[in-house]
Amino acid sequence: MTTATKTQPMTKPLAASNFVALFRRREYGVLALLLITLFSVGAVNPAFLAAGNLRDILVAATPAIIVGCGLTFVVLMGEIDISMGASMGVLATVMGQLTSPAHAHLPVAEGIALTLALGSLIGLTNGLLVAYGRMPSIIVTLGMMTILQGVNVILMNGHWITDMPPGLRWFGLGRVIGIPVSLWIAALVVIASIILARDTPLGRRIYASGSNPSAAALTGLPVRSLKLFVFTLTGLLTAVATVVSVPLLSVIEPGVGSGFELLAVTCVVVGGTSISGGKGTIAGTLLAALLLSVVRPTLVFLKLGPSASYWERAIQGAFILAAVLLDHVARSHRRKADA
Amino acid sequence: MIQARQPNRLLSMRGALPSMQELVLIVLLLGLCGMAYHLSPDFLGPRAQIMLSTHVWELALLALPMTLIILTGGIDLSIGSTMALSAVVFGLCFKAHLPIGAGISLALLVGAVAGALNGIFVAYVKVHPLIVTLATLAAYRGVAEGISLGQPVSGFPDAFTQLSLGTVGPVPIPAVIFAVAIVIIGLVMARTPVGLWLSAIGYNETAAEFSGIAVRRIKLLLYTASGLMASMAGLLFVARRNTAKADIGTGMELAVITAVVLGGSSIFGGRGRLFGTMLGILLIHEMREFLSWQWNRDEITLVVIGVLLILSVLMDSLLSAKKR
Repeated sequence: MTTATKTQPMTKPLAASNFVALFRRREYGVLALLLITLFSVGAVNPAFLAAGNLRDILVAATPAIIVGCGLTFVVLMGEIDISMGASMGVLATVMGQLTSPAHAHLPVAEGIALTLALGSLIGLTNGLLVAYGRMPSIIVTLGMMTILQGVNVILMNGHWITDMPPGLRWFGLGRVIGIPVSLWIAALVVIASIILARDTPLGRRIYASGSNPSAAALTGLPVRSLKLFVFTLTGLLTAVATVVSVPLLSVIEPGVGSGFELLAVTCVVVGGTSISGGKGTIAGTLLAALLLSVVRPTLVFLKLGPSASYWERAIQGAFILAAVLLDHVARSHRRKADA
Repeated sequence: MIQARQPNRLLSMRGALPSMQELVLIVLLLGLCGMAYHLSPDFLGPRAQIMLSTHVWELALLALPMTLIILTGGIDLSIGSTMALSAVVFGLCFKAHLPIGAGISLALLVGAVAGALNGIFVAYVKVHPLIVTLATLAAYRGVAEGISLGQPVSGFPDAFTQLSLGTVGPVPIPAVIFAVAIVIIGLVMARTPVGLWLSAIGYNETAAEFSGIAVRRIKLLLYTASGLMASMAGLLFVARRNTAKADIGTGMELAVITAVVLGGSSIFGGRGRLFGTMLGILLIHEMREFLSWQWNRDEITLVVIGVLLILSVLMDSLLSAKKR
């Protein structure tokens, strides 16, 4: 965050020519690590590459992928959001209470529409405080996180939600043409985000404002509205992720979503998006989310015994440090080449 | 994440007068005490306060190095995980029938090494502290889970649990540890140029480096101290609960950062002091304890803290925008 004062050079002209530049860097390293993992585990245990298992890996990664897409735009703007986990908890509770027969028993469509609206509202509030209250986003979303954690306990009031209606379950368990609903939705979000980032004026403005906010403001870019947009988008996508992932759980309890914010931030950062803004891609976030979610099944399929899965987070952490170190080595190489 | 820096604050932070934000916290704290006195006078008595204070010492200890790190414009998200790692290391030593003293030393050593690793990445590899400590947040807890296989260790001897439950006269031992820590750090900050160096680094790291401040060494030291303090907090936690498990300290980092920022530190560095942080912690602690004492509803504390955090920083940013 301190580096934010050093103005970054603009990421080259905003045209198709920087297509390569945008996809050149961290993404390849993450992709290589992912492919190596997939194929080496597949070589040891071919069942790992079975369609069913790959599908499970993808399904496990969907919440991080969906929220990661929104968060990538937030980080591209040089901001951060750490309220997604607590937000997901509240949204899950609200969605459950609205639709469950034991509570409000609304039609599923209405319940989901309200959940999406509430998610957007949370994001909008974050955005308003950051853009118009001129507050550091880490504080705003830390405060929001704390508030939402309290609200969730109050809302839930000790009663776990155990009776999600079948219509809601469909979003977690249902299939369309043999592919889980959640994957269709995640694919839609990813494709829309890539188009938004690369091919729309809105996306290009986000990159421009992130790489040099004061220059962007002087050029007449609506930096504040852009901030409002990226936070609202992240709020909405958090609700989408809630809708597709929570119905997979047997009960909705207060722990839903806890720690999710750090996972999402990790995906964005490992995917190569610069924490000071202006640089990064959706593809990178997608690959990083896949890489982090492949760790657990890898440990299972290598048959290292039941204790192996306890090392999941250590390995995830090592992956992040490896990505960071690789980046450092690459940077110092480039600097030497320049000199 | 850009904010205009106002150099005049550099001078005022060393002043003895409380800042605006600290005044607000003091008023809120007095208001809370007034309400408590009105509703339930027992709450303010020394016996109740000492009894209720057992929960706060770990948070207070962790907030000391965090204030200094945030003052330099850094952040340490890995402290909760370092707590768990040290606790588990201690637990395993105990299980391996090592003497308690050896277990404690090893746990503290592990904490210091974990902190130093953060410091090396931040200061020498020059990776953003948010990213480094996010990685080690996962890694340290992962190692704690891995070496303990998620199993708790308990049944520590009284000699060890006394570390948290024992008292010196009427004062709990964790309070004594905290008092020693804050007196040392407070003296260093007030009587030596270190305080000025830290905020100089927070204001403008490059300028600080050019003016001869050993920026990298200071950062390495700070993160190491943070790791050491985290392992101390982890040990106190184990002593208090009489169980060492890999899930302790989850979310601690954000609670500590909340207290530091509520106390008036700027998250961008350069501004902040221990006095404000202590007020922040005191307010959070007293509010939580009172709400659960009186109405058994401490979850409201979270909502109030979140709102206070946002309002205090919002007020600050609107006021400084007007001044400009």
